[in-house]
Amino acid sequence: MSGGEEILKVENVVKRFGGITAVNRVSFNVRKGEILGLIGPNGAGKTTLFNCITGVYRPEEGRIVFLGEDITGLQPHVIARKGIVRTWQKVRPFKKMTVLDTVTVGALLRTNSVTEAKRKAEDILKFIEFPEDKFEVMGKEITLIEHKLVDLARAIATEPTLLLLDEVAAGLRPNEMERLASILKKVNKERNLTMIVVEHVMRFVMGLSQRMIVMHEGEKIAEGTPQEIANNPRVIEAYLGTKPL
Amino acid sequence: MALSEWVRESRKYILGTIILVLVLAFIPFIIGFDQYLLLILSTAAIFAVFVVAWNIIGGYAGQLDLGAFAYIALGGIVAAQLLVVYNITPWIGMFVGAGVSAVLAAAIGYPTFRFGIKEVWYALLTAALVVILNNIFHLPEVLGSLDHYLPPANGWYYLKFPVYENIYWFILAMLAIVVFINLWVSKSKVGYYLRAIREDELAAEALGIDVRKYKLEALVLYAAILGFMGYVYIVIAGTYSYHTFDSPHSIAIAIMGIIGGLGSIAGALTSAITLKVVEEYLRASIGATIPGIHLLIYGLLLIIIGIFKPDGLAGIYESLKKRRTSGRKKISGGGNP
Repeated sequence: MSGGEEILKVENVVKRFGGITAVNRVSFNVRKGEILGLIGPNGAGKTTLFNCITGVYRPEEGRIVFLGEDITGLQPHVIARKGIVRTWQKVRPFKKMTVLDTVTVGALLRTNSVTEAKRKAEDILKFIEFPEDKFEVMGKEITLIEHKLVDLARAIATEPTLLLLDEVAAGLRPNEMERLASILKKVNKERNLTMIVVEHVMRFVMGLSQRMIVMHEGEKIAEGTPQEIANNPRVIEAYLGTKPL
Repeated sequence: MALSEWVRESRKYILGTIILVLVLAFIPFIIGFDQYLLLILSTAAIFAVFVVAWNIIGGYAGQLDLGAFAYIALGGIVAAQLLVVYNITPWIGMFVGAGVSAVLAAAIGYPTFRFGIKEVWYALLTAALVVILNNIFHLPEVLGSLDHYLPPANGWYYLKFPVYENIYWFILAMLAIVVFINLWVSKSKVGYYLRAIREDELAAEALGIDVRKYKLEALVLYAAILGFMGYVYIVIAGTYSYHTFDSPHSIAIAIMGIIGGLGSIAGALTSAITLKVVEEYLRASIGATIPGIHLLIYGLLLIIIGIFKPDGLAGIYESLKKRRTSGRKKISGGGNP
């Protein structure tokens, strides 16, 4: 579980919007093969941090090193090609494309042959247990959990080294969350895919991740195993507020 | 994509296109080579070429381009001037025109996509391009205020004939080629990437798609086709001048593309041919008493399509197809309600 080589190093990253510091000197490492949970209350800077790693924003200070290479400020598609791919908090479906075509778009990153990409897309959709009778359905006609699965499938299809999942469980029912968690575990194990999971739903992320980082008001306030995090007084304070006098 | 793979994948559509073009090519025999009707048909056919080319940038890549006549007029005027001034055959001049239009598209497209200009701002920018070129070509140093004429000589060297059927058949051949280019784009990696960009640019980029590069490729391909056809347009129009940079017709091409349904080749073909024929008919029959009636009808059609069928004519095909297949399912009794 631990002790894998460090594939991503985030060093003192700062991102400001006007006078607000959304991410303030955050550093952490991601080890090969792990699922790293990233939690924090609303506005803690989790999504901004994701956007810095994937190149949507350029951080004002600090460095992001992926597989020994400085990737700070590169364009999103360049970073994706290097192996960091994300899913979105609010699903961003290709509404007028079929499920299979959507995943094929992801697979085309590593091949020029549409036939080959389609075959790969089918395999991945089957792997994440997407209902086969909906492969040819348009993106606008599927349910939320299916959207999340398609989002996941098209990201996996690009053959990433590191997958960033931004609040995948948001809006799902408890039984759907369990289904998604088991799929994510399967992807992590069988495809040896390293993941960072940003999450609000504590039970979901606690059960999924081997290591966790907690952010609060732009800063990293804790790091450790889910057990350590659950008992950390600063974390409890950030989530529940200070004890009343 | 390999050629053989493309032929196998799109066999049905390739056959369909060939049959359609052959049927259209036969029409002059039915109407007894009526030159007036042939002029209308030629105009409709060349607009079909424009709209099918527009489908690449507007339909697949989802960029609302209103600048078609910037590229048509530029390419056409380049080929016409080469013929008039240097007596260079349009068979060469049209390729030069296509090249010049492609270079203009690249020069405009690179900064446009680099700085992320899209949606209404892209539409405004491309509409402005036509107006700007119109004004530049109006300068006395360029074309001035006068109409320019092609040499009076006729024949294949000039691609210009005393009758319309030859040019009509030439346009139909081009139409087939442009439809094939569309089919190829649609089935290839580029087509998948362009559709992904149209659906969600940010998501597409996060999947490793170089959004700027693919948009630019689509724009340059579209501009090159238009630039190539520019000379033929001038042959039909009879003259060329700064007026050839025609804003209303640029917008009409986008409207036909939208009414046809974004990304649908069949929709683009149908809407271009029917709308253009109806427009010419209306102009000829009641245009003198009610000027601008065809524009009114465009507007009405857009409103009706916008309310009932936002996916255009292609959406109507799709829902008909669906009704048929779901009807079949019901008969076989399977599936949940």
